[in-house]
Amino acid sequence: MSTQTSSTIQFPYKRTLGPVISRFFSELTAQRIVGIRSGDRVIVPPMEYDPETGNQLAEDFVEVGPAGTVVSWTWVAEPGKHHPLDRPFAYALIKLDGADTNLLHALDAGSEDAVSTGMRVVPRWRDEPVGRIDDIVAFVPGETPEGPAAGEAQDVQTMDYFSTITYTDVLSPTLERYAASMRAGVIKGQRCPQCNRVFLGRGYCSVDAIILGEEHEEALPDFGVVSNYTIVTPTPYPGQKETEPFARASVVLDGDEMVIAQQQIIGIPVSEIRVGMRVKAQWFPAAERDAAEITSKGWGTVAGFIEGWVHTGEPDEPAEQYMNRVF
Amino acid sequence: MGHEPVAVVGIGQTKHKKRRDDLSIAGLVREAAQRALDDAQMTWSDIDAVVIGKAPDIFEGVMKPELYLADALGGAGKPVFRVHTAGSVGGSTAIVASHLVSSRVHKRVLAVAWEKQSEGNAQFGLGGGKSGSIGAGGAFAPWIRAYIRKSGAPEHIGWQIAVKDRQNALRNPYAHLHLKDISIDKVRESPMMWDPLHFLESCPSSDGAGAIVLTDRAGGEAAAADGRPPAWVLGTSMRSEPSSFNGRDPIRPQAGVDCAWDVYKQAGITDPRRQIDVAELYVPFSWYEPMWLEGHDIAPVGEGWKMVDRGETAFDGSFPVNPSGGVLSSNPIGASGMLRFLEAALQVRGAAGEHQVDGARVALAQAYGAAAQYFAMWAVGSQLPSS
Repeated sequence: MSTQTSSTIQFPYKRTLGPVISRFFSELTAQRIVGIRSGDRVIVPPMEYDPETGNQLAEDFVEVGPAGTVVSWTWVAEPGKHHPLDRPFAYALIKLDGADTNLLHALDAGSEDAVSTGMRVVPRWRDEPVGRIDDIVAFVPGETPEGPAAGEAQDVQTMDYFSTITYTDVLSPTLERYAASMRAGVIKGQRCPQCNRVFLGRGYCSVDAIILGEEHEEALPDFGVVSNYTIVTPTPYPGQKETEPFARASVVLDGDEMVIAQQQIIGIPVSEIRVGMRVKAQWFPAAERDAAEITSKGWGTVAGFIEGWVHTGEPDEPAEQYMNRVF
Repeated sequence: MGHEPVAVVGIGQTKHKKRRDDLSIAGLVREAAQRALDDAQMTWSDIDAVVIGKAPDIFEGVMKPELYLADALGGAGKPVFRVHTAGSVGGSTAIVASHLVSSRVHKRVLAVAWEKQSEGNAQFGLGGGKSGSIGAGGAFAPWIRAYIRKSGAPEHIGWQIAVKDRQNALRNPYAHLHLKDISIDKVRESPMMWDPLHFLESCPSSDGAGAIVLTDRAGGEAAAADGRPPAWVLGTSMRSEPSSFNGRDPIRPQAGVDCAWDVYKQAGITDPRRQIDVAELYVPFSWYEPMWLEGHDIAPVGEGWKMVDRGETAFDGSFPVNPSGGVLSSNPIGASGMLRFLEAALQVRGAAGEHQVDGARVALAQAYGAAAQYFAMWAVGSQLPSS
């Protein structure tokens, strides 16, 4: 059975809309739909440039719709969580009255049988407009728009875009063995038979590009030397939890010279971390070890297994022979 | 039949700022592209193919933005290419475009590179979307510490470069930072961000784009005949190496050495220190100036900081580096390499205005990316290459 790990990243992006899409979204907040003139055509939503030639368009806006005609459509029988409606609906290309291009939007028609090319549709407006394309909740059959009475137009210059994406990784056999070994408290590396370099959970040699398998694996020491470090003054960003300067060190394991980067040094102030310091791994208790940080996009990480590294109390090693080793 | 000579006949860039809140992403790339077309005396319809470059999509959260931007750059019905080589991408984008001309696939190519950092957060993006991102400064600080320790360079070298590039930026109206009162004291006293790097030794976060139009020999000669001298491409190269393996020299990566010598060889350069008049090197953190002077054999190993100390890389020095103000003054990440490449072209065209280096005939541009592992470089000159 294969092992899967999953990870989610999310971020609140903020778009600046520019003069043309700003105008389109501002008008939507007052339940008006505008296009832009490009020669004989009216393009909806409006664009800053003619999409066929790239030529800049004068900001000559034209109100269109709100009713329109379905030009083409596809039925979404089982909406997912990212779809605009939570019940079956159609995605439709709608030519709004007065427009020469088609607008893609959701059509809430109840059933597939109720949708046809050539049918007339109108917007269902959102109760409280925010200046986004989903101020039109969906189009609905008919000639009379649905929703509250139109209010004053808002000045919309930006758009918040909350992005979230979840990755599911299926771990390679190398990473599965690596994770099992880490759960048992042993760092296992793969030694390239050609160049003798050691890699963690990679499955290949980065230098010789040859495949490394179980036969190349060996236990590595869980102690070594701080080869270099960074003290980071954290800047705030969504998801940032660090508020005070923190250190990340690179540790060269004894003997094989494998580098483990971005490690925490535990038990001493950040200001006392130095190149050449001898350290040993502080493992999480066996029951708390967790492979969630291992993904097939990278290679072996000790995150989730080793909490950090503690000074052994032994004398320092000479700094110069280690400093270059960071990643 | 050899390669077709390639000429840069149009150059454009945006005013780089912390937040271009007056523009959409399409508006940003079009501001640079339109200026390049105007400079080339061309229109969108004159262009055969478009090459778009930017750094990771996570920076703005627009996935595959080249699809959305194809028609914004007049690409309907034309070949459109996306390039992505991390921080070096702006340079790689120019090189890919030049190869489309040198291989005689196309005659007139528009290359545009951009970033709109204000829409997201680069620290977030570089940290894989997690807390505790070390950022680019945190990644490079240990190597800078190693360089300082090995070379014995005094700490004022970093401060001096931070001041020099900001003073150069005062000559460049497009630069993001215009720090009129920059001084050694100010740099030294600015907060320590990634020890040993101070805040003012680090690049800003910028919105911006850069664009160039490249043509074949006939296009370049026609522009020259019209009193608009082109920049001729003398050599291009891209090289890369893995970020992590025992025996790697991250202070002077072999890929950077090989990339430079590949360009020098194509350009007929045997003594880069003497034969290159001006260089635009990718210096997002002050200490990378001496590191690349050594990493591209412009200075002997261990001697790069001495060139800086003697003032040779200053605007009026014998080997000016980053007359534009460099990445330290403007950093729209995906565009930053392009800005190096187009500044080199501006210099040899004699079109750099207040930041024109006198007598610039041969200019070198370089960009690097990720863990100092991707390199893109070109040399451009004022004369059509002889072979």
